Amino acid sequence: MTAARVGIGGPVGSGKTALIEAMLRELAEAGIDTAVITNDLVTDEDAERLRKGGQLPPERVRAVQAGACPHTVIREDPTLNMAAADRLEAEFPGLDLILLESGGDNLASTFSPDLVDFWMFVIDVAGGDDIPRKKGPGILQANLLVINKADLAPHVGVDFPKMLAEATEVRGGGAVLPTVCRKGEGVAEVVGHLRREVLFK
Amino acid sequence: MSADSLPVIRAMQLADSGFPSGVFAFSWGLESALADGQVDRHSLCDWVATELRTRWHGFDRVALAGGHRLSGAALAAWCETIDTMMPVERLRRDSVQAGEALFASARAVRIALDPGATEAERAGTGHFPVVHGDFLRACGLDLPTALMTSAYGMARGAFSAAVRLGVSGAIATQRDLLTLAPLLAELSADIPDDDALPSGFMPLSDIALMRPRDGRLFIN
Ligand SMILES: Nc1nc2c(ncn2[C@@H]2O[C@H](COP(=O)(O)OP(=O)(O)O)[C@@H](O)[C@H]2O)c(=O)[nH]1
Ligand SMILES: [Mg+2]
Repeated sequence: MTAARVGIGGPVGSGKTALIEAMLRELAEAGIDTAVITNDLVTDEDAERLRKGGQLPPERVRAVQAGACPHTVIREDPTLNMAAADRLEAEFPGLDLILLESGGDNLASTFSPDLVDFWMFVIDVAGGDDIPRKKGPGILQANLLVINKADLAPHVGVDFPKMLAEATEVRGGGAVLPTVCRKGEGVAEVVGHLRREVLFK
Repeated sequence: MSADSLPVIRAMQLADSGFPSGVFAFSWGLESALADGQVDRHSLCDWVATELRTRWHGFDRVALAGGHRLSGAALAAWCETIDTMMPVERLRRDSVQAGEALFASARAVRIALDPGATEAERAGTGHFPVVHGDFLRACGLDLPTALMTSAYGMARGAFSAAVRLGVSGAIATQRDLLTLAPLLAELSADIPDDDALPSGFMPLSDIALMRPRDGRLFIN
């Protein structure tokens, strides 16, 4: 087992798939051999979107159904995701990184340390600037907190610098990065963080 | 500690919903059957009983017994046989996917499976009930206890899917499980003969399993 397994969690619609799409471009440029596992709640929506995006050959994108339980499949019983990751590693020797997208859940969701080496939690500005103050294990325990849709701050009355500062504070100084995934802004920093902390490459 | 308590404790651990094996994401046709109106809250217990009498007793029980009894090349060949007994491609794929999750679980928990099972995994024929038989043997369960664990696991899994699909409650399904306990005992006490083959029947739920996946929450 050599590929780093990195989880991406966060509420539905915060931009997890958008982050992966933007990251795949950066990762390809950096020569990091990557595959993705999605945990769509229903059917293969996110997996299909990533396959159509064309950043990765379709067979490097796997969908694992979560049986109506997005947190179970990444935490209480991660075996389906472990099996999918094992199979990807067997089929693509030399894989550096497997990204696992959670089906989207609430602020209490966390990834099992049995499944991933590192995980990030993606929230978005439009969810409200009180989200970091609500804490929750997702916000507090993730190795990296990404606050996406920074472009929307003026439209939803959010003081973005203050939201970033509060998030950093509740995390006791743990890493927090702002992004606009739709435009690729801040994504190089997310990938840089992964390379330093997990990939060593 | 009595000599019999260790296997019972092991069986409780292995049949518990807390044991990670991926089965929670499978409804084995219940999701479609509910959507098609073939089953509802009131007939759920009967639906599970029928599944136990047909799919479990006719197929899983026999497949599992082979997985428990055989080893090496004979076990790998049994996996092949089971593979050819499943005419529906979708069913085969789902059963192998469930098997793969159990392999991943065994590796992670460090339970050494038989080389014949690992060979079947590589060949893509590591079907869940067979691997489960080998797995329960490797955990120290004798065949009768393994069969009980499997039958109970099937019923528990179906009811848990029903709860997540919102058709039944956690309390009502426990009442149903109490009702079904004698059936579970009766069916799992029927130990297959050494030369028994699974039946190639096609219960309603098999047909439900062949429906397109669109809009599904469960793997099947
Ligand atoms: N304005 C804006 N919209 C975004 C951004 N990132 C994602 N979105 C949109 O937010 C919606 C949900 O994104 P998606 O990646 O599917 O979220 P997921 O459910 O977390 O995977 C989509 O309509 C995206 O186009 C962003 O940085 N800014
Ligand atoms: Mg998504």
